[in-house]
Amino acid sequence: MKNKITELGIKVLLLFPILSLFSCHSSDQQNAQSSHRTDTVVIQQMQFIPASITVKKGDSILWINKDMVDHTVKEEKSNGFYSDTIHVGKTWKMVATDSADYDCSIHPTMKGRIVIK
Amino acid sequence: MKILKFFTKSAICFAVSTGFLSLSANAQKAVNLTDPEIASIAVTANQIDIDYAKIAEKKSKNAEIINFAQTMAKDHQSVIDQAVALVKKLGVTPKDNATSKSLKAGEAKTLKLLNSKSGKAFDKAYIDNEVGYHKAVIKEVETALIPDAKNAELKSLLQSVLPVLKSHLSHAEMVQKEVNK
Repeated sequence: MKNKITELGIKVLLLFPILSLFSCHSSDQQNAQSSHRTDTVVIQQMQFIPASITVKKGDSILWINKDMVDHTVKEEKSNGFYSDTIHVGKTWKMVATDSADYDCSIHPTMKGRIVIK
Repeated sequence: MKILKFFTKSAICFAVSTGFLSLSANAQKAVNLTDPEIASIAVTANQIDIDYAKIAEKKSKNAEIINFAQTMAKDHQSVIDQAVALVKKLGVTPKDNATSKSLKAGEAKTLKLLNSKSGKAFDKAYIDNEVGYHKAVIKEVETALIPDAKNAELKSLLQSVLPVLKSHLSHAEMVQKEVNK
Protein backbone atom coordinates (compact mmCIF):
# COMPACT_ATOMS: atom_id res chain seq x y z
CA MET A 1 0.00 0.00 0.00
CA LYS A 2 2.79 2.38 1.05
CA ASN A 3 4.68 1.48 -2.13
CA LYS A 4 1.63 2.28 -4.26
CA ILE A 5 1.22 5.70 -2.65
CA THR A 6 4.93 6.44 -3.20
CA GLU A 7 4.63 5.31 -6.83
CA LEU A 8 1.57 7.58 -7.37
CA GLY A 9 3.42 10.49 -5.76
CA ILE A 10 6.38 10.02 -8.11
CA LYS A 11 4.07 9.90 -11.14
CA VAL A 12 2.33 13.12 -10.09
CA LEU A 13 5.68 14.80 -9.53
CA LEU A 14 6.87 13.71 -12.97
CA LEU A 15 3.65 14.67 -14.74
CA PHE A 16 3.36 18.12 -13.12
CA PRO A 17 6.26 19.81 -14.97
CA ILE A 18 5.16 18.18 -18.24
CA LEU A 19 1.59 19.45 -17.83
CA SER A 20 2.93 22.86 -16.83
CA LEU A 21 4.98 23.00 -20.01
CA PHE A 22 1.90 22.25 -22.14
CA SER A 23 -0.06 24.80 -20.20
CA CYS A 24 2.58 27.52 -20.82
CA HIS A 25 2.80 26.61 -24.49
CA SER A 26 -0.97 26.86 -24.85
CA SER A 27 -0.96 30.21 -23.08
CA ASP A 28 1.79 31.51 -25.39
CA GLN A 29 -0.27 30.44 -28.40
CA GLN A 30 -3.32 32.27 -27.06
CA ASN A 31 -1.25 35.40 -26.51
CA ALA A 32 0.16 35.20 -30.03
CA GLN A 33 -3.30 34.72 -31.47
CA SER A 34 -4.84 37.51 -29.46
CA SER A 35 -2.16 39.99 -30.60
CA HIS A 36 -3.63 39.76 -34.13
CA ARG A 37 -7.11 41.03 -34.74
CA THR A 38 -9.66 40.49 -37.48
CA ASP A 39 -11.09 43.48 -39.33
CA THR A 40 -14.14 43.36 -41.55
CA VAL A 41 -14.90 44.62 -45.04
CA VAL A 42 -18.58 44.49 -45.98
CA ILE A 43 -19.45 44.01 -49.65
CA GLN A 44 -22.70 45.86 -50.20
CA GLN A 45 -24.31 47.93 -52.96
CA MET A 46 -21.46 46.92 -55.30
CA GLN A 47 -18.82 48.46 -53.03
CA PHE A 48 -16.13 47.33 -50.61
CA ILE A 49 -16.92 49.13 -47.35
CA PRO A 50 -14.53 50.55 -46.24
CA ALA A 51 -12.85 50.93 -49.62
CA SER A 52 -9.48 51.31 -47.88
CA ILE A 53 -8.66 49.34 -44.75
CA THR A 54 -5.55 49.87 -42.59
CA VAL A 55 -4.35 46.87 -40.57
CA LYS A 56 -1.20 45.57 -38.88
CA LYS A 57 0.88 42.93 -40.66
CA GLY A 58 -0.49 39.53 -39.65
CA ASP A 59 -3.99 40.80 -38.92
CA SER A 60 -6.84 39.06 -40.68
CA ILE A 61 -9.41 40.66 -42.94
CA LEU A 62 -12.86 39.14 -43.26
CA TRP A 63 -14.94 40.04 -46.31
CA ILE A 64 -18.70 39.56 -45.88
CA ASN A 65 -20.87 39.49 -49.00
CA LYS A 66 -24.12 41.23 -48.06
CA ASP A 67 -24.88 42.10 -51.68
CA MET A 68 -27.46 40.71 -54.12
CA VAL A 69 -24.85 39.09 -56.35
CA ASP A 70 -21.65 37.03 -56.06
CA HIS A 71 -18.30 38.76 -55.80
CA THR A 72 -14.58 38.00 -55.55
CA VAL A 73 -11.56 39.62 -53.89
CA LYS A 74 -8.57 39.58 -56.22
CA GLU A 75 -5.26 41.38 -55.89
CA GLU A 76 -4.80 43.59 -58.93
CA LYS A 77 -1.21 42.52 -59.60
CA SER A 78 -0.82 39.06 -61.09
CA ASN A 79 -0.18 36.02 -58.86
CA GLY A 80 -1.56 37.84 -55.86
CA PHE A 81 -4.32 36.70 -53.53
CA TYR A 82 -7.66 35.54 -54.89
CA SER A 83 -10.75 34.54 -52.94
CA ASP A 84 -12.56 32.61 -55.65
CA THR A 85 -16.32 33.29 -55.73
CA ILE A 86 -17.77 34.66 -52.50
CA HIS A 87 -21.42 33.72 -52.87
CA VAL A 88 -24.26 35.88 -51.56
CA GLY A 89 -24.32 35.70 -47.75
CA LYS A 90 -20.89 34.03 -47.53
CA THR A 91 -17.51 35.25 -46.23
CA TRP A 92 -13.80 34.97 -47.01
CA LYS A 93 -10.90 35.56 -44.65
CA MET A 94 -7.24 36.29 -45.35
CA VAL A 95 -4.16 37.18 -43.30
CA ALA A 96 -2.83 40.52 -44.52
CA THR A 97 0.92 40.54 -45.12
CA ASP A 98 1.42 43.41 -47.57
CA SER A 99 -0.27 46.57 -48.73
CA ALA A 100 -2.23 45.88 -51.91
CA ASP A 101 -4.86 47.16 -54.29
CA TYR A 102 -7.60 44.70 -55.09
CA ASP A 103 -10.83 44.48 -57.08
CA CYS A 104 -13.74 42.19 -57.80
CA SER A 105 -12.82 40.13 -60.84
CA ILE A 106 -16.52 39.77 -61.73
CA HIS A 107 -17.23 43.50 -61.44
CA PRO A 108 -14.01 45.33 -62.37
CA THR A 109 -15.39 48.74 -61.38
CA MET A 110 -15.34 47.65 -57.71
CA LYS A 111 -12.00 48.57 -56.14
CA GLY A 112 -10.48 48.18 -52.68
CA ARG A 113 -7.18 48.77 -50.90
CA ILE A 114 -5.30 47.16 -47.99
CA VAL A 115 -2.78 49.36 -46.18
CA ILE A 116 -0.31 47.80 -43.74
CA LYS A 117 0.61 50.30 -41.01
CA MET B 1 -47.96 62.24 -65.68
CA LYS B 2 -44.87 60.81 -64.00
CA ILE B 3 -45.29 57.59 -65.96
CA LEU B 4 -45.86 59.53 -69.19
CA LYS B 5 -42.64 61.50 -68.59
CA PHE B 6 -40.78 58.31 -67.82
CA PHE B 7 -41.96 56.54 -70.93
CA THR B 8 -41.16 59.53 -73.12
CA LYS B 9 -37.62 59.66 -71.74
CA SER B 10 -37.22 55.90 -71.90
CA ALA B 11 -38.47 55.79 -75.46
CA ILE B 12 -35.93 58.41 -76.48
CA CYS B 13 -33.19 56.58 -74.64
CA PHE B 14 -34.05 53.29 -76.28
CA ALA B 15 -34.46 54.92 -79.68
CA VAL B 16 -31.07 56.56 -79.43
CA SER B 17 -29.22 53.62 -78.00
CA THR B 18 -30.88 50.67 -79.62
CA GLY B 19 -33.77 51.85 -81.72
CA PHE B 20 -35.60 48.66 -80.94
CA LEU B 21 -38.19 49.32 -78.27
CA SER B 22 -41.65 50.36 -79.32
CA LEU B 23 -43.95 51.40 -76.53
CA SER B 24 -47.61 50.63 -76.78
CA ALA B 25 -50.27 53.28 -76.46
CA ASN B 26 -51.50 51.60 -73.29
CA ALA B 27 -48.10 52.07 -71.69
CA GLN B 28 -48.52 55.84 -71.90
CA LYS B 29 -51.48 55.96 -69.54
CA ALA B 30 -50.79 58.18 -66.56
CA VAL B 31 -51.47 55.47 -63.99
CA ASN B 32 -49.34 54.18 -61.17
CA LEU B 33 -47.99 50.67 -61.40
CA THR B 34 -49.27 48.09 -58.94
CA ASP B 35 -46.92 45.75 -57.04
CA PRO B 36 -47.90 42.71 -59.19
CA GLU B 37 -47.12 44.79 -62.31
CA ILE B 38 -43.80 45.95 -60.85
CA ALA B 39 -42.88 42.34 -60.05
CA SER B 40 -43.64 41.37 -63.66
CA ILE B 41 -41.55 44.23 -65.08
CA ALA B 42 -38.63 43.42 -62.76
CA VAL B 43 -38.55 39.74 -63.73
CA THR B 44 -39.05 40.49 -67.45
CA ALA B 45 -36.33 43.15 -67.60
CA ASN B 46 -33.81 40.83 -65.91
CA GLN B 47 -34.76 37.84 -68.07
CA ILE B 48 -34.31 39.89 -71.25
CA ASP B 49 -30.72 40.71 -70.34
CA ILE B 50 -30.06 37.02 -69.62
CA ASP B 51 -31.40 36.21 -73.10
CA TYR B 52 -29.05 38.77 -74.67
CA ALA B 53 -26.14 37.34 -72.64
CA LYS B 54 -26.85 33.80 -73.85
CA ILE B 55 -26.57 34.94 -77.47
CA ALA B 56 -23.30 36.76 -76.74
CA GLU B 57 -21.84 33.72 -75.00
CA LYS B 58 -22.70 31.67 -78.08
CA LYS B 59 -21.72 34.10 -80.85
CA SER B 60 -18.82 36.22 -79.59
CA LYS B 61 -15.16 35.30 -79.65
CA ASN B 62 -14.11 38.41 -77.75
CA ALA B 63 -13.01 37.44 -74.21
CA GLU B 64 -14.21 40.73 -72.71
CA ILE B 65 -17.66 40.38 -74.29
CA ILE B 66 -17.95 36.76 -73.15
CA ASN B 67 -16.82 37.64 -69.62
CA PHE B 68 -19.30 40.53 -69.46
CA ALA B 69 -22.13 38.34 -70.80
CA GLN B 70 -21.39 35.66 -68.19
CA THR B 71 -21.57 38.28 -65.45
CA MET B 72 -24.89 39.58 -66.80
CA ALA B 73 -26.38 36.07 -66.94
CA LYS B 74 -25.30 35.25 -63.36
CA ASP B 75 -26.18 38.60 -61.76
CA HIS B 76 -29.59 38.98 -63.40
CA GLN B 77 -30.46 35.39 -62.50
CA SER B 78 -29.50 36.15 -58.90
CA VAL B 79 -31.80 39.21 -58.94
CA ILE B 80 -34.65 37.16 -60.45
CA ASP B 81 -34.20 34.45 -57.80
CA GLN B 82 -34.41 37.00 -55.01
CA ALA B 83 -37.36 38.82 -56.61
CA VAL B 84 -39.25 35.55 -57.12
CA ALA B 85 -38.54 34.50 -53.51
CA LEU B 86 -39.87 37.83 -52.28
CA VAL B 87 -43.08 37.87 -54.34
CA LYS B 88 -43.71 34.27 -53.26
CA LYS B 89 -43.27 35.29 -49.62
CA LEU B 90 -45.55 38.30 -50.12
CA GLY B 91 -48.13 36.25 -52.03
CA VAL B 92 -47.89 38.59 -55.03
CA THR B 93 -48.57 37.13 -58.47
CA PRO B 94 -46.64 39.04 -61.19
CA LYS B 95 -49.11 40.61 -63.61
CA ASP B 96 -48.35 41.20 -67.28
CA ASN B 97 -48.83 44.84 -68.24
CA ALA B 98 -48.14 47.39 -70.97
CA THR B 99 -44.53 47.95 -69.86
CA SER B 100 -43.59 44.28 -69.63
CA LYS B 101 -45.27 43.70 -73.01
CA SER B 102 -43.35 46.55 -74.64
CA LEU B 103 -40.11 45.26 -73.09
CA LYS B 104 -40.77 41.87 -74.70
CA ALA B 105 -41.58 43.52 -78.04
CA GLY B 106 -38.30 45.44 -77.84
CA GLU B 107 -36.45 42.23 -77.02
CA ALA B 108 -37.84 40.44 -80.08
CA LYS B 109 -36.52 43.20 -82.36
CA THR B 110 -33.14 43.30 -80.61
CA LEU B 111 -32.73 39.52 -80.78
CA LYS B 112 -33.47 39.65 -84.51
CA LEU B 113 -30.80 42.30 -84.99
CA LEU B 114 -28.21 40.49 -82.84
CA ASN B 115 -28.84 37.22 -84.64
CA SER B 116 -28.25 38.92 -87.99
CA LYS B 117 -24.73 40.06 -87.01
CA SER B 118 -21.43 38.29 -86.51
CA GLY B 119 -17.81 38.99 -85.55
CA LYS B 120 -16.90 42.51 -84.49
CA ALA B 121 -20.24 43.86 -85.76
CA PHE B 122 -22.03 41.53 -83.34
CA ASP B 123 -19.78 42.55 -80.42
CA LYS B 124 -20.47 46.21 -81.13
CA ALA B 125 -24.23 45.72 -81.49
CA TYR B 126 -24.36 43.65 -78.29
CA ILE B 127 -22.38 46.02 -76.10
CA ASP B 128 -24.06 49.15 -77.51
CA ASN B 129 -27.41 47.57 -76.69
CA GLU B 130 -26.21 46.69 -73.17
CA VAL B 131 -25.24 50.31 -72.52
CA GLY B 132 -28.60 51.60 -73.81
CA TYR B 133 -30.65 48.89 -72.14
CA HIS B 134 -29.08 49.41 -68.71
CA LYS B 135 -29.52 53.20 -68.98
CA ALA B 136 -33.22 52.73 -69.79
CA VAL B 137 -33.81 50.14 -67.07
CA ILE B 138 -32.02 52.28 -64.45
CA LYS B 139 -34.31 55.17 -65.39
CA GLU B 140 -37.37 52.96 -65.16
CA VAL B 141 -36.40 51.63 -61.74
CA GLU B 142 -35.57 55.12 -60.42
CA THR B 143 -38.54 57.00 -61.79
CA ALA B 144 -41.35 54.45 -61.90
CA LEU B 145 -40.76 51.16 -60.09
CA ILE B 146 -39.30 52.47 -56.80
CA PRO B 147 -41.71 55.43 -56.44
CA ASP B 148 -44.74 53.27 -57.30
CA ALA B 149 -43.88 50.22 -55.15
CA LYS B 150 -46.28 50.00 -52.19
CA ASN B 151 -44.74 47.12 -50.26
CA ALA B 152 -41.68 48.18 -48.24
CA GLU B 153 -39.76 44.95 -48.93
CA LEU B 154 -40.40 45.20 -52.67
CA LYS B 155 -39.27 48.84 -52.62
CA SER B 156 -36.14 47.85 -50.68
CA LEU B 157 -35.33 45.08 -53.15
CA LEU B 158 -35.65 47.53 -56.06
CA GLN B 159 -33.40 50.00 -54.23
CA SER B 160 -30.81 47.22 -53.80
CA VAL B 161 -30.97 46.37 -57.50
CA LEU B 162 -30.06 49.92 -58.56
CA PRO B 163 -26.32 49.75 -57.61
CA VAL B 164 -26.08 46.42 -59.44
CA LEU B 165 -27.53 47.98 -62.60
CA LYS B 166 -25.29 51.04 -62.31
CA SER B 167 -22.21 48.83 -61.89
CA HIS B 168 -23.29 46.86 -64.97
CA LEU B 169 -23.62 50.11 -66.93
CA SER B 170 -20.08 51.23 -65.94
CA HIS B 171 -18.74 47.79 -66.84
CA ALA B 172 -20.58 47.86 -70.20
CA GLU B 173 -19.13 51.30 -70.98
CA MET B 174 -15.62 49.98 -70.18
CA VAL B 175 -16.10 47.06 -72.57
CA GLN B 176 -17.68 49.35 -75.18
CA LYS B 177 -14.52 51.50 -75.20
CA GLU B 178 -12.37 48.41 -75.80
CA VAL B 179 -14.63 47.07 -78.54
CA ASN B 180 -14.67 50.43 -80.34
CA LYS B 181 -10.84 50.76 -80.35
